[in-house]
Amino acid sequence: MIWQQLFNGLTVGSTYSLIAIGYTLIFGVLRIINMAHGQIFIFGSLVGLAVTVNSGLPILVAFAVSVLISGMLGVVLEFTALRPLRKKNVPHLASLISTIGFAILIEELTHIFFGADSRAVPAIAGGSYEVGPLMIRQVDLIIIVVSLLLMVILNYWINKTKMGKALRATAENGDTAGLLGINTNAIIIMTVCIASALGGIAGMLIGLAYSALIPTMGLTLGFKGLAVLILGGVGSIPGAMVCGLILGMAEVLSVAYGDSSYRDAVAFGLIILILLVRPQGLFGKKV
Amino acid sequence: MELLNSYNLQVLTFIVLNLILAISIYVTLSTGQLSLGHAGFMAIGAYSTAILTEQAGLPLFLSLLIGALGTGLISLVIGLPTLRLNGLYLAIATLGFGEVVRVIFLNLEITNGALGLTGLKSIGSRVYDILKDLGLKASDLGMSVLEIKSLATLLTLLLLFAAVLFFTVRLNRSRVGRAFSAIKADETAAMAMGINVTYYKMLAFVIGSVLAGLCGGLFAHITTAITPDDFNYHRVVEILSFAVIGGSEVVIGPIFGAILLTSLPEVLRVVAEYKMIFYGGLMVLVMAFRPHGLITADTFARFKRRRQAKPAAQEDDTNAKGGL
Repeated sequence: MIWQQLFNGLTVGSTYSLIAIGYTLIFGVLRIINMAHGQIFIFGSLVGLAVTVNSGLPILVAFAVSVLISGMLGVVLEFTALRPLRKKNVPHLASLISTIGFAILIEELTHIFFGADSRAVPAIAGGSYEVGPLMIRQVDLIIIVVSLLLMVILNYWINKTKMGKALRATAENGDTAGLLGINTNAIIIMTVCIASALGGIAGMLIGLAYSALIPTMGLTLGFKGLAVLILGGVGSIPGAMVCGLILGMAEVLSVAYGDSSYRDAVAFGLIILILLVRPQGLFGKKV
Repeated sequence: MELLNSYNLQVLTFIVLNLILAISIYVTLSTGQLSLGHAGFMAIGAYSTAILTEQAGLPLFLSLLIGALGTGLISLVIGLPTLRLNGLYLAIATLGFGEVVRVIFLNLEITNGALGLTGLKSIGSRVYDILKDLGLKASDLGMSVLEIKSLATLLTLLLLFAAVLFFTVRLNRSRVGRAFSAIKADETAAMAMGINVTYYKMLAFVIGSVLAGLCGGLFAHITTAITPDDFNYHRVVEILSFAVIGGSEVVIGPIFGAILLTSLPEVLRVVAEYKMIFYGGLMVLVMAFRPHGLITADTFARFKRRRQAKPAAQEDDTNAKGGL
């Protein structure tokens, strides 16, 4: 029984990891928290879902549309809410606040286009396997494999490619990177775009996991990503990967052995706990 | 008397309530800390005050006091682990806190779940009861009962607002207020000057939360019905936008923001329909073009300078540049 719960937690947790990586990437390069992340990718996922449901195209198209729309919104965010604030004499909270404003804009647009009702996500691959005590649905397998694959690719891209090097240089010191001939503005656009696109995939995966997407999920899922960010240590990509899984499992266990209505409180409890015990996060370096 | 109909009075009442809320977020912001849990603190204040007046039968004044102070105690628990760290941690923790509070109130029995608490006795009715005991009736004053109740509510709130404003202005001019602005300007420099940064950040956060709790209690006894959904994330953005759009450098800023943003939807029908879009868009725009808010410390310095410059008719470049 407990193994089954842990496995379910792993499935949900892997999507949390993807969301958290979106925050981490943007934080790494820009030193700000993008409060619009959750709202952006839920909007993208809902558009993707609507396209496939209305046209009868396979669900894979929904993923592509979701990635495209989320990525585009990320770029819009960069040009409207982030870039105008990257000048001197701007208070450090300003960009956080302008992303909150952007989030509310997107959330209201979502409300106008999609209403407040949850939308069913058509099931793919209905079969399941029995492995020892585990009952593994094919959907779960797809979710875990896709998330892990994305994380591996991302890791390779950041650590081994030239563009990844430019990204790490910008993250370490934007001004110096610019002096050394890296087009930091392009890197920033690319980062915001990739972070949002990753969210777009995570949103669709969550839709598959729960067989539904709720337009108001943006805030809740966004907060879970932020919780993972703090748990793993702000700015640490391996931290985000591992702690997403930890949060997923903690949630599932709390539902199985506690009260299901307080599921969303688990993330908050973990934040307060980690800040008391180890404020730099599980994988963070001591400042 | 036409202007004083109960609808207009109610609009004014909500403006005054929002003024106090704007000050509550302003105090927290005055150390450079962003709290996204003000709706949560409001909810705690609202529910605790309502339960105290309705189920424990305590007088309103006492309940408001207990509700506000209780909120302060809870904010202490949030502040302790987060305020030692970078401001981002407080923003994220309070964001989560607000949602958790909402979920808890949705599931508790004493708060009546999603239906919330209804049929609370309003501030107006309470004041009118006192007036009746004193032998005054509505007809003696030439107003309907509803009007006099609305007027009483408004006056009570105005009184409270005046007290809060007085307190804030005095606070700003005190040693504590100077410590706040030192921390906002540069935390490291403030620390080097021997200011206990964590202590003052905590103080500002707790004062802000206590005020938010007070507003919650007032809100419950103005609308006479509260549900957990009254205190969702939209409320946070609304409160935040008062200070952010109005400007959080001087206390006039959030006051101006609250008046502007609360009265606009009443005047312009379009704004009322797409209120949150309007707030969100305005936030992005103001941050892009005037990141310190519409009204800043500079705004008044310029006025003063102009007034001084006229009789002297002299240009003083060194003065003109140093706006602070």
